[in-house]
Amino acid sequence: MLNKLKNMWKKEEKIGSPIRGEAVSIKEVNDPTFSDEILGKGIAIKPLTGRVVAPCDGTISMVFDTKHALSITTEHGAELLIHVGLDTVNLKGQFFEAKVSAGEHVKAGTLLLEFDIEKIKEEGYDTICPIVVCNSQEFSNIEAITGEVSELTEVLKIIQ
Amino acid sequence: MKQVTYVVKDELGLHARPAGLLVKVTGGFKSDIRLSANGKEADGKRILGIMSLGVKKGDKVTFACKGVDEERAAVQIESFLNDNL
Repeated sequence: MLNKLKNMWKKEEKIGSPIRGEAVSIKEVNDPTFSDEILGKGIAIKPLTGRVVAPCDGTISMVFDTKHALSITTEHGAELLIHVGLDTVNLKGQFFEAKVSAGEHVKAGTLLLEFDIEKIKEEGYDTICPIVVCNSQEFSNIEAITGEVSELTEVLKIIQ
Repeated sequence: MKQVTYVVKDELGLHARPAGLLVKVTGGFKSDIRLSANGKEADGKRILGIMSLGVKKGDKVTFACKGVDEERAAVQIESFLNDNL
């Protein structure tokens, strides 16, 4: 009973990496929209592959028409934005392929998006992928865990 | 209630960066701020809600501000739109 209450008190949600690569601090992202946390707190992944999977169970809340970013609302209500590359909105969907659409329920590990990492680099874009909690202010703390990551290696702890 | 209507001129529409910057403006007001576009409506203080509207170049957006600081909110939103979108 007491333990159950404690758990309710300190609810914590673990978010895995959606991409294989290296997890780095959001402050290292070369775009103030992310590094200044304008879109929220989070982490960034330097990708080694062009696969984005669901970082946790949740519902796809939005897929940009340009397919370079999408969001997933977690079961605890965190609104995660996964943004592939910087300024990639300018590519207008080229080199991106979305595998899901808004409203779909997904399990951790479901393939969400594929992108052609080499082509995007050739076009001169930074392929770093920021992952941010858009409603960060609703949580007491968001911890980022950096280092080499596989798909679903824990990278964020969202504490209610 | 104060309303601001604007037709988006930016080539890329209301994507992640402008949505984040917009919430920096709207979040500073006590008033309730609703944003409608393309027949949908969102909370003007929530980044994801704003992005979900999928606002593109040429779309008309309407902000409805209601509360103690609605006048000031409407003025600042209008200047944000003119400067950024």
